[in-house]
Amino acid sequence: MAMDLSQGKVYGIGWAGRTLREMLEESERLFRETGRYYGLEKLKLKEKDPIRYERIFSRIRGGLVNARETALNISASPIVKELGELCFALYTPEGDAVALSTGIIVHVHTISDAIKYMIRNNYEMNPRIRPGDVFGNNDAMIGDVHNADVHTLIPIFYKGELLGWAGGVTHEIDVGAQYPGSMSYGQANRFPGDGFIVPCEKIGENDELLKSYELRAQMSVRSPMYWLLDEKTRLAGCLMIRDAVIRLVEEEGVDVYKQFIREAIEEGRRSFLNRVKEMLIPGTYEAPSFIEVPFKDEPVNQLMQKDTMNHSPLELTVGADGEYILSFEGANKWGHHSFNCAPSPMQGALWVLLTQTLIPNDKVNDGAYLATKCILPYGSWCNPDYQNVSTTLSWLFLIPGFTGMIRSLSRAFYSRGYVEEVLAGYPVTCNLMQGGGINHFGIESAFTNFEISSQGTGASAVKDGEGFCAAMWNPEGDMGDIEAWEFIEPLLYLGRRVKPDTAGHGKYRGGPGMEALRMVWKTDHQYLYNAGDGYTVNGGGLFGGYPGSSGYRHNMRGTNMQELIKNKLPYPTGDGNPEESEMENLVKAEKVDFDQQALTFMREYGEWDLYLSMQRGGPGLGDPLERAFSAVEEDLNEGLLSPRLAGSVYGAVIVQGEDGKWKVDVKASEERRQEIRRKRKMRGVPVKEWMKKERKRILKQDIIEPVKDMYKSSMELSETWAKKFRTFWDLPEEFQFD
Amino acid sequence: MPHKAKILAIDAGGTMTDTFIIDEKGEFIVGKAQTTPHDESIGVANSSRDALKYWGMLPEEAFPTIISGIYSGTAMLNRLLERKGKRLGLIVTAGQEDYLRLERGIQTYLGYSYSDRLHVATHRHNEPLIPRERIRGVRERIDLFGDVIIPLYEDEVFQAVEELLDQEVEGICVNLLYSYRNPIHEVKVREIAEKVMEKKGVQVPLFLASELYPVRRDFPRLNTLLVEAYAAEPSRGQLERVQNKVNELGGRFNIRVMASHGGTIGIDAKKLAPTLVSGPIGGVIGGKYLAEKLGIKNVVCTDIGGTSFDLALITDGEFHIKSTPDIARFILNLPLVQIDSVGAGTGTFVRVNPTSNRIELGPDSAGYRIGVSNEQENLDAPTISDCNLVLGLLNPDFFLGGDIKLNKQRAIEVIDEKIAKPLGLNVYDAASGVVRLFEDSLKNQVVAMVLGKGYAPVNYTLLCYGGGGPLHVGGCTEGLDFEDVIIPTWAAGFSAFGCACADFEYRYDRTVDLPIGGIGQLDPMTVSVLLNAAWAELRQKVISQFEKSGIPEDQIKFRHAVRMQYQGQLNDLEFYTRTGEITKKEELDEIVEEFENLYGRIYARSAKSPELGYLVTTAIVTGTVPVEKPDLPNEPLAGPEPPAEAHKGTREVYWRGNWITADIYDMEKVKPGNVLKGLSIVEAPATTFVVPPDQEACLDQYRIFHLRKKVNKFDIGGI
Repeated sequence: MAMDLSQGKVYGIGWAGRTLREMLEESERLFRETGRYYGLEKLKLKEKDPIRYERIFSRIRGGLVNARETALNISASPIVKELGELCFALYTPEGDAVALSTGIIVHVHTISDAIKYMIRNNYEMNPRIRPGDVFGNNDAMIGDVHNADVHTLIPIFYKGELLGWAGGVTHEIDVGAQYPGSMSYGQANRFPGDGFIVPCEKIGENDELLKSYELRAQMSVRSPMYWLLDEKTRLAGCLMIRDAVIRLVEEEGVDVYKQFIREAIEEGRRSFLNRVKEMLIPGTYEAPSFIEVPFKDEPVNQLMQKDTMNHSPLELTVGADGEYILSFEGANKWGHHSFNCAPSPMQGALWVLLTQTLIPNDKVNDGAYLATKCILPYGSWCNPDYQNVSTTLSWLFLIPGFTGMIRSLSRAFYSRGYVEEVLAGYPVTCNLMQGGGINHFGIESAFTNFEISSQGTGASAVKDGEGFCAAMWNPEGDMGDIEAWEFIEPLLYLGRRVKPDTAGHGKYRGGPGMEALRMVWKTDHQYLYNAGDGYTVNGGGLFGGYPGSSGYRHNMRGTNMQELIKNKLPYPTGDGNPEESEMENLVKAEKVDFDQQALTFMREYGEWDLYLSMQRGGPGLGDPLERAFSAVEEDLNEGLLSPRLAGSVYGAVIVQGEDGKWKVDVKASEERRQEIRRKRKMRGVPVKEWMKKERKRILKQDIIEPVKDMYKSSMELSETWAKKFRTFWDLPEEFQFD
Repeated sequence: MPHKAKILAIDAGGTMTDTFIIDEKGEFIVGKAQTTPHDESIGVANSSRDALKYWGMLPEEAFPTIISGIYSGTAMLNRLLERKGKRLGLIVTAGQEDYLRLERGIQTYLGYSYSDRLHVATHRHNEPLIPRERIRGVRERIDLFGDVIIPLYEDEVFQAVEELLDQEVEGICVNLLYSYRNPIHEVKVREIAEKVMEKKGVQVPLFLASELYPVRRDFPRLNTLLVEAYAAEPSRGQLERVQNKVNELGGRFNIRVMASHGGTIGIDAKKLAPTLVSGPIGGVIGGKYLAEKLGIKNVVCTDIGGTSFDLALITDGEFHIKSTPDIARFILNLPLVQIDSVGAGTGTFVRVNPTSNRIELGPDSAGYRIGVSNEQENLDAPTISDCNLVLGLLNPDFFLGGDIKLNKQRAIEVIDEKIAKPLGLNVYDAASGVVRLFEDSLKNQVVAMVLGKGYAPVNYTLLCYGGGGPLHVGGCTEGLDFEDVIIPTWAAGFSAFGCACADFEYRYDRTVDLPIGGIGQLDPMTVSVLLNAAWAELRQKVISQFEKSGIPEDQIKFRHAVRMQYQGQLNDLEFYTRTGEITKKEELDEIVEEFENLYGRIYARSAKSPELGYLVTTAIVTGTVPVEKPDLPNEPLAGPEPPAEAHKGTREVYWRGNWITADIYDMEKVKPGNVLKGLSIVEAPATTFVVPPDQEACLDQYRIFHLRKKVNKFDIGGI
C-alpha cells in the first residue's frame, strides 16, 4: 500500500490499485448479494473457450503437484516425507483457494482463513506485504487445525500487483509445547502450554527466512532440525508455485489469469451443488457421536481434572438444489483441555472427508467451501468464545465429531443405489503415540508416531472394510518402515501385528486394526502418552453393524524384560486378545497399566519398559447374523476374530481341527442363529416402553456424571438443542441437568 | 546384398515376442511371434525366423555372425502379477509375521489415479506372496547401530525351519531387522537351516536379505527379496532354455538380460530381481547411447505410447536412478532408471464430466486398442487417436501401414455427440482442443521434470519416440526453447533399439551410513577407510559375477558412486565419485562439494543445510565390460528438396481453427539432408510424424529428424 501525498489517496497492492481489504470486502459483498463467487453469472472464459480454461487449470494444478513432489524431498520428517503430510495451494489475492496439490487436503481452507486474517488486519500497511516476503502461521484461532500444522505463505506479485498467494503446510514432529510431542496435552490453556505459535508472522524477506526467525524457531521446539527443514520444504514449494504462476501469466496474459481464477472458484461451487444433487437424497440426517475425556484422576492441570465427554450432535441437511448444511447445534462447551477446535479445523475436517467420499477429484477448490455451510455454535468446543483455549490435539474431538457425516452420506448413497460408495464410518485414529526425552543418540528430542495414519476402514454395503491403511484425515495412510521409525524413537518394535477383534462386526465387517509393542531402549527416560478412546465407541456401525472395538491401555514399567532376554525366555511380541494377554502372561513388572483408561497424560518410562500402541478397526455394516459362515471361518483362521466372539456375535458353532484350523458347523450355526434371533425378540420391548423407562431415568437424573455434565453443557449453550431434547423425551419445560 | 546380423534384441511380452536384429550397417529388421510361456525359447526362435525372412535368411544362417544378444521380457512380472511363483517359506524377526498382511498402507493405493487415491472405498491390499501360515518369526533384535539387543533364540530357528520344511516349501527367505547393518543373526539362521535340512535330508535354497539386498528399509527390502525368490529365480530356467536355443541355432554369444539399473547382466547373475522391469527403460538407454554418438550431454527422453507418457532425463550423459521404486504395487529396494510415467497416451479416453461440464482426459485408456474409429473394438468413448483422425493428422487407410482401416466418420459422430455438443463447440474445434490439452499436459510434465532438476529446457535436447511420439512432438515442445528436438525415424522401435545399446554391467549397492560432520560425526579419514572398504567389497562382488562369464578383472571398467544426504533427511541423492579409493581428505571434501552443488541445483537455493552435516548412506559400484552396440545408419546427405517419390500427396488438416493443406510424405523415401516444411505429415507404417505449420524438419545422415522453427530462406545456416 502506498500513499500518494499530493492526492491523499491510498494505492493498494491489489488489482487496479485497490487495497486487499477493498478487494476482500467487494468479494464478500458480491457473494452475499448474488450467492455467486464474485457475483459471476456467466463463466465467460469457460463457455467461450472451454479448452483454454482446462489448459490453464491443468497448468496450475501441475505446478502445485510438481512443487509438492520436489519439496517433499527436502523434509527430514517421516511424517512429511513418508506419510505425505504436506500440501500446497494457490489462492486469489483475497485468499480463496483456486487449486491444490495432492497430499493432505485438510488445509485448503485453513490457509485461506490465515490470508483473510492478514488482509482484515491490514497487513498491507503493517508489516507490509512486499515481493519476496514470507509469512508463517500455525495459530488455530486465526486459521489452522492445531499448531503442529505450520503454514508458509508467500505473495505472488506481477508487475507491482498482487496476483495471489502460494501456501504450503506440513505437520511438525514437535511444537515446543509444555510437554513433548506435536499434539501434546495436559495444559489447561494455550498459554503457556501450547508451545511455539507463529500467528501470521512475517518470517522472511527476499525469498529467504529471517535469521532471527530461524533462531527463535530453533530455541522454541525440541526437534529444531525437523522444524527448520520443513520450513525450507514449504518455502521451496511456494517459490516453485510462484515461478509456475508467473510463467503462466506471461504466456496467457494477466487478464485471462484473473478471469480464470474467479471462474474456477465459481465453477467449483456449481460443480459441488451438482454433485450433491447427483449423489444424495435431500433431507435431514442426524448422527451424533461422543468421546470421553477421563481426566478426573490424571496428573493434569487442576482445571482439567474431571471426567467429562465431548458431544457432537451432527445434523446434515441436504437441500433440493444441492445445499449442504452441517450443523453442530447442541455441541457442548469448550473445555480446559487441548481438544478444542476453532472453526478453521472444522472446515479442515469437512474438506478432508468430502474429498475422500463425495468429491474425490483434483478439481476441488474454495468453490466447494462456498457451496457448503457449517453451523458452529459460539462458545462450544467447535467455536470457542475464549481466545486462550488450548487446541494442540483438536483432532481428538474432530475425528469422532465427524463420524456422523460419513454415516449420513452413506445412508444417502445407499438410498440412491450407490452401494459401493457406502462406508459404515471410520474409527478414531488412535492410539496416538507421542512423547520425548533424551533419545538414543543422546539428544533431547520429541516424536509423534504416525502409524495412526493406518486404521481399518469402515465396511461398505458390498464388502468388508480394508485393514490398516487409512486415516480419517488422510485416505493415503501408510504406517512407514520400522527401520525408519526407530531412527527417531528410542523404542524398539518387539512386534507389529494384526490385532484380533478390532474390526466392527457385521454382515460386512470393518477393516481390522493392528498393534505395535514397543520397548524403551538406549535411553534412561522417555515420556509417553496414550491417546484414544477406551470407554466410548466411535464411528458407530451402520444398518445393524457394530462399531470397531474401542481401545485400551496396556503398559508395563519396571519390567523383567532384561532378565527374560538374557535367559532367552519368551517375551511378548504383542498383546493379542486382551482376554488372554500375552504381555500379562509373559512379563512381570512393578507398575502395570492395563485398563480402559486409553486417554492419559504422559508417564515416565525407563529402559526395558513396555508400551502397547493399538490401532483401531473400522465399523461394520449389517447384522452379523447375516455374515457368510465361510467369512467367519476365514476371520477365525486369519486371527482377526476370537472364537468366543464367533459364537456370541456371529452365532457360529465352531470346531478346531488337528491342524489348528477352525471350521464352522453350518447346520448347528444356523440353529444357533435362530436361537439368538428368538432371544432378541424376547429381550426386545416396544420403543415407546423403552423410552418411558429411560425418561424416568432422565427425570431422576440417574445418569453417570460425565454424560450428565456433557448434556448439561449442551442445554445451557443452546436453547434450540435443549428444546429438542426436552421435546424428544417429553420433559417439562423447566427441565435441566443439575 | 547379403546382411551380416550383428546384434539380436529380444522383447518377450505377455502375448507377443518381438525380435530386433541389427546388421553391421545399422540396418535392422523386426520380427514377431506368439510368446510361448511354457518354453519361451520356441517363441524366440519363431520370432527371429519371422524377422530374418525380410533379409531372406534363416536363423541358422544369421545367428553364427551375431556377437551380442539381449533379452528383456515380462515373464517374471507376469509370474508375480498372477501369483504363480515358488512356494516359499519366510523367517522374519519375531513380531513381524504379519508383514505381508499389513504391508505398508501405501501398497493399498499404489498405481491408482489421483481420484482413487483419495477415494478411500477403492483401496485394497495385495494378495500376499506367502500366506501367513508359511511365515515364522524368531526372537532376536539388532538395532539401527548394528548392536545385538536381543540375541537370536536359536531354538526358535530350528523349529521354524522344521515347520516350514514340513510344509514342503521350495525355498526359505530370511529378512531380519537391520541385517544390512549386522548380518550375524541371518548368517546364524542359515547355519541352523542347513543343519535342519541335512538332518531331514531335504535341500531347498535359502535367500538372505543381508546377502542379496543389504540396504536399509525393512519392508521394501523384504519385497525385493521375495520377488527375487518368488518370481525371479524361477525364471532362470527360461533364460537357460533361450540360451540353449540360441546355441542350437548356431549362435556363439551369451544372452544378457536387461536390468533395472540400465545395464545388462548375465543369466547366471546372482540376483535376477533387477530384471523384473526392463521394457520401458530401453528407450532411455537408447537415448543415452544416441547422446554419446551425437555428442549431446543433456537429453529429455519422451516416450508417448498408447496408455502412458514416459519421460526420463539424461544429464551430463547419465540417466538418474531411483532407489525405492514401485513395481506391480510393490515398493522395492532396487536401483531403477528413473522414469516418470503419466497415465496419458494416444489411447487415453476423452470424456466430458456431466457434473461440471468439463473435459476429462483419462485416467483410463483403451490400452492396446485404438478408439471408436475401429469399430471392432466396441468402444464408446473416443480416444486421443480418434481426435487425431478427425483432424486429418492420422490417415484412416494407413494405420499400421494399412493393416487396420479406421472409420473416420464414426469418430466424427462420436466426438460430436459426446464432446463437442456438450461443450458447445464444433467437432473439429473440440478434437483440436482435446489434442492441445493432451499435448499441453505432456508439455507441463516435461517442463516440470527439467525445472525440477534445476535446469531449463535450453540446456536439453528433447528426444521423442514411441508410436505416438512423432505425432505429438510438435505440440509438446511448442513454445519451449529446447536446444534441439530430435525424432529418430525408427521411433516406434526405439525401445528395442535401446535395449541393444545397453552395457554389460553389474551394479551393487550397500547401505553404509557414514556421517561427515553433524551428530555422531566420524573422523574424515575413518569415513574414507570405511567407504573404501565398502567399495572394495562391492568391487569384489562385481568381479566374481564377471568371472562366471569368464571375463577377467582387467577388462572391467569400475565406476564408484555414493548416495548422500544431509543428516537427518530421508531423501538421498546419487552421484558418481571421481575416485574409488579415497587417499586424502581433499578427495572426501570433493565428494561433499559435489553433493552440495547437486542439492542446490535440484532443490531451491534456500534448502541447502550444511549445518546438519552429511551422511553417506550408500556405497555403489558398477562394473562395465564393453560390448558390441548397434551402429547408427549413416547415409550421404542429399539436398533440402525431398525427392518426388517421397511426396505421397496432400491432405486437408484442421489446425487450430483453420483448414490447412498438408504435404504427405513417405518416411522411408525421405533422404538425409531433406527439409520438410510444415505443415507436413510424414507417414511410416508404425508411426506418423507431424511437422507443425511454423516449423520444419530436417533429416540428418543418421536418419534422425530435427524439428525446429522454420528458417527464413535468407537466413544463413542449415545443418
